[in-house]
Amino acid sequence: MKNLKLIFVLAAVIGLSACQSKVEYGNATEVETVNENFGSTDLQDIAAKMVDSMMTFPPVVVITQNNRPIIFVDKIKNKTSEHIDTESVTDTISNKLLRSGKFRFIDMTKVDTVRKQLDYQNNAGMVDPTTAIKFGRQIGAQYMLYGNLSSIVKQDGSTKDVYYKMTMRLMDLETGLIEWSDEKEIRKVKSKSFLGL
Amino acid sequence: MLKTVSLLLILSCLTGCAYNSVFINYPSQIAPYKQQLNSELPVANIDELANNIDGNDGLLYAQETGRIMQVAGDFERSKTFYQQAITAYQAFDDKAIISASKLGSGATSLLLNDNAIPYRGPGYERIMLHQYQALNYLFSGDAQGALVEVRRSNELQSMEQARYQQSQKSVQNMANGTVDAQMAQLSRSAGSVTSSFLNAYSYYITGLLHELANEPNDAFIDYRKAAQITPDNRYLQQDLVRLAKQLAMPQYDEFKQRWGDAITPTPEQGQVVFIVERGFVPEKQSITVPFPINDNLQSASLATYQPQSPLPFASKIQGLDTPLEAQNIANIDALAINALKEDLPAALFRQAARIYAKYELNQSVQSSSRRANNQVDAGALVMQIFNVISEQADRRSWLTLPRQAQIAKQFVDAGHYDIRVNNSQNTKIEVKPNQTTLIWAIETGNRTRFYSIII
Repeated sequence: MKNLKLIFVLAAVIGLSACQSKVEYGNATEVETVNENFGSTDLQDIAAKMVDSMMTFPPVVVITQNNRPIIFVDKIKNKTSEHIDTESVTDTISNKLLRSGKFRFIDMTKVDTVRKQLDYQNNAGMVDPTTAIKFGRQIGAQYMLYGNLSSIVKQDGSTKDVYYKMTMRLMDLETGLIEWSDEKEIRKVKSKSFLGL
Repeated sequence: MLKTVSLLLILSCLTGCAYNSVFINYPSQIAPYKQQLNSELPVANIDELANNIDGNDGLLYAQETGRIMQVAGDFERSKTFYQQAITAYQAFDDKAIISASKLGSGATSLLLNDNAIPYRGPGYERIMLHQYQALNYLFSGDAQGALVEVRRSNELQSMEQARYQQSQKSVQNMANGTVDAQMAQLSRSAGSVTSSFLNAYSYYITGLLHELANEPNDAFIDYRKAAQITPDNRYLQQDLVRLAKQLAMPQYDEFKQRWGDAITPTPEQGQVVFIVERGFVPEKQSITVPFPINDNLQSASLATYQPQSPLPFASKIQGLDTPLEAQNIANIDALAINALKEDLPAALFRQAARIYAKYELNQSVQSSSRRANNQVDAGALVMQIFNVISEQADRRSWLTLPRQAQIAKQFVDAGHYDIRVNNSQNTKIEVKPNQTTLIWAIETGNRTRFYSIII
């Protein structure tokens, strides 16, 4: 009888300790389905598809054969009903393009900082004028990469359907022609569980 | 027997801690904060209210604190609170169809009262939450974030619209005499609003934000919906004619005939848009009817709205070249009344089940006590007192919402103006050519706060 009691107490203790929260490392590229919102898997899929599509598009291959075109990335317009960090999407895409060694980039988000630094070098009187970097020596971008992310959300009772569409384009700034364009679609369906907490 | 009673008391004490509004009625918790908003003093301590966000009715308290901060002009903090409310709504959406926690709160509500059921606002409150969150984003300078909230409220608007159309019949299927009278009174108070969530104000704000974001086509769609709900609003009519002309819509000729041609600004002019919010939405009152069943005292409590005094007159805006008169776009009190009316059948059902449950409990206490002579009356008496005290109407609702929303719009020459709404203090605004100055005036009774932004 006494043993039985002990076993119960032990079982209870084990049961309780199993409820403790824990932290684990996961794989960053693992498929993530915590909920139906825009997530890391969507971001990775979009970036992979866009970069692949652009690098293998024949006219782009021709452009990048003999030189490394200079691109600036415009912000991706968020037209969904979620607060999404679209800068993070463009960062991933421009990273991959840059790492391919076929393109060069201009970072428009840092223009102000650069201007301040050059201003300091040239006008503060603190920097040796021979080593100061002069204004007006930067190289202009030839292409602009831009896009938008839109979504359609539908919900009925226990089913929720989310559809994302990312469209990206590469424009030749001199001619205004679109040299490349592609889109990536993602659909997610979520159904409510019947029983739960 | 005594065991049952003491168990019951302990149980009610325990739940009393967990559920804020079970024994203290909700409006009295919010009243001091409303008073603060109405005074000249800055809003003092919100933490006590914010602490409740972790509780059972967290959603409601998050809405309330968000709104208080918003009225006081702290848009960043308001944004955080509203976000908590939005997350709570999403958690509700994700709950399983049959969930253990829902069953649990349902059972507690059978023993105590409806306040034990976690709060979930009616459709219009959820839409207004996103609408206000959009304004938070806009006034803290994030136009893209504002549009995200606008799209969310657009999604909800269409969803709630579909849901309402289905549940319309359930509102009518009521046969009980006293309730019919109650329903009739509610109908009278609600006036002409046909639905509890078709809120022209939300449609107008989403339309306005679309227009400010240079999406006139989306704006046209929302304005048109708003006009279907509030057809008499002159400013809305003007917006529709102007956008129909700009977008070359087929309805342009029809609109022009009905409301006159579009007024277009000169290049030196800018647009001034006024949103005027007035008062606070009324509080739910409770009606309690005690009655005996087999010598056992039982009571029934239901929430209702008292007949409202006539709505405040149109706001007069002075200080521009010509005096403007704001026009009504939505009566939030009517929306609240309709929402309660829709909820009444379910509340009645729960009430009946509760009376039955409490009666059965009474019986069990009595019959067992009869055997043990002396404690008889004490136990039964305690049960009856418990019945009457625990029976409280569900008076929870978002109380810091305005009672009425009005709009006004005009093209004026660029420059500085010193404006005033009704009897408020003067406030300075700037109008830039070809741009829009949005002025949000929140009147909380004696005090009017102004927030303006140039877009």
